[in-house]
Amino acid sequence: MSTTVFDAHTLPADDNVNPYAFSVDLNGQWFLQKGKMIAYYGQISFDGIGHGPLDSLVASSFHSPLHASDWVVASGKGRLLLADRAFDVNSYDLDDGNLTIRSGNLLAFDPRLSLKQSIIPGFVTLIGTGKFVAASNGQVHFVEPPIRVDPQALVGWADCPSPCHHYDHQYLRGFLGGVRHLTGIGGASGEEHQFEFTGSGTVLIQSTEKLIAEQATGAVPDEQGVPGGSPRWSR
Amino acid sequence: MSGFRPVNGKMIEATVNPGQVLYSQRGAMIAYRGEVSFTPSLTGGQGGVMSAIGRRVRGEAAPLMTVEGRGTVMFGHGGHEVHVIDLTGELLHVESDRLLAFEGSLRQGTVFLGSQGGVMGLVRGQATGQGLFTTTLEGKGAVAVLAHGGVFELPVTPGRPVNVDPQAYVCHRGQLTNRLTTALSWRDMVGRGSGEAFQLELSGQGTVFVQASEEKL
Repeated sequence: MSTTVFDAHTLPADDNVNPYAFSVDLNGQWFLQKGKMIAYYGQISFDGIGHGPLDSLVASSFHSPLHASDWVVASGKGRLLLADRAFDVNSYDLDDGNLTIRSGNLLAFDPRLSLKQSIIPGFVTLIGTGKFVAASNGQVHFVEPPIRVDPQALVGWADCPSPCHHYDHQYLRGFLGGVRHLTGIGGASGEEHQFEFTGSGTVLIQSTEKLIAEQATGAVPDEQGVPGGSPRWSR
Repeated sequence: MSGFRPVNGKMIEATVNPGQVLYSQRGAMIAYRGEVSFTPSLTGGQGGVMSAIGRRVRGEAAPLMTVEGRGTVMFGHGGHEVHVIDLTGELLHVESDRLLAFEGSLRQGTVFLGSQGGVMGLVRGQATGQGLFTTTLEGKGAVAVLAHGGVFELPVTPGRPVNVDPQAYVCHRGQLTNRLTTALSWRDMVGRGSGEAFQLELSGQGTVFVQASEEKL
């Protein structure tokens, strides 16, 4: 195995350098999560969103100013290398589609896409056409519904309805199950709860249950009918 | 034909049919299709209550669950590489916490390391982190073991023993005797050792599975 030495011209354009680093051929603007840039060639400036001339981007690409401060805009021309704690990194293309992903897993995205908060807490949704880069602990595996997924192994889903919770407590029923439930003898299988996907689309799963730390997606407005919004009933 | 199909280096897929039981480490299910139930195995494997008590006493009672029903299940754990071993009647020695999943057609047992080499067997168990007991699987079926870094197989034939670092040892298949060899010298005492003072020598007929890392699970 030989080591390839890259320079500004031989670095891959919008492709992986190795399984853990991704090179963006930047000409214009990209959004990236804070702290995910590892190196760059060229003239690139990194600005926090919401300051000065970039103010209008919040309106066009974020729609929700609440979590915009977790993102920076890379603008300029050059090659930009992205990585996240040696997790597997991959790019995905959306073609007039939608994809919901765990907030901590999303590294960077094309400004043609718009980022919105999902109604599932901890997840964000990307809508439109463009490229984005996401990290996962172990390679991502694509599966099609109907499927039930361990909550920790779920990375995201595309073009399919939001999941629901599935509980499986069959082994806690009956006489022996009751004894088990009361005494704790025999323990739990750790698989009593899954996310169930139905309908058509694609589900992205990672090969381990170890999560990437979540990024705050911001609070939702305190409103009736908004999941996670605080007033649960009207006064 | 193996019952376990690799999905990628860190995940396997298994088909479950009625009447065929799988055992897997608890919490190692990634996703499944169909109607499959996951029951914590009270006995931690096979062989009835007495062998379960035996395993508990010996600290080899890995938290296992029984997987049954009809469908396909994906397993993976902790971001470790998964290696599938197909057994066709041979004996496999493996540490219980490295077991990701195995087919119910395999017979599970526990062996006392001291029965192989007396006191040195005990020392070896401590040095390799295996403890005093290790799990055996025997029969026809597939086993998925976890390892840090990729796994490769080293064949052992009579007269050609293999020395492995105890930390890189994953499991072994076949009729092998293992012996802990030491190369301790005064240099180790003053902290100038080579770091390879203990080695595991395996001899006989079989295969040793080694991981490309010295990190224990």
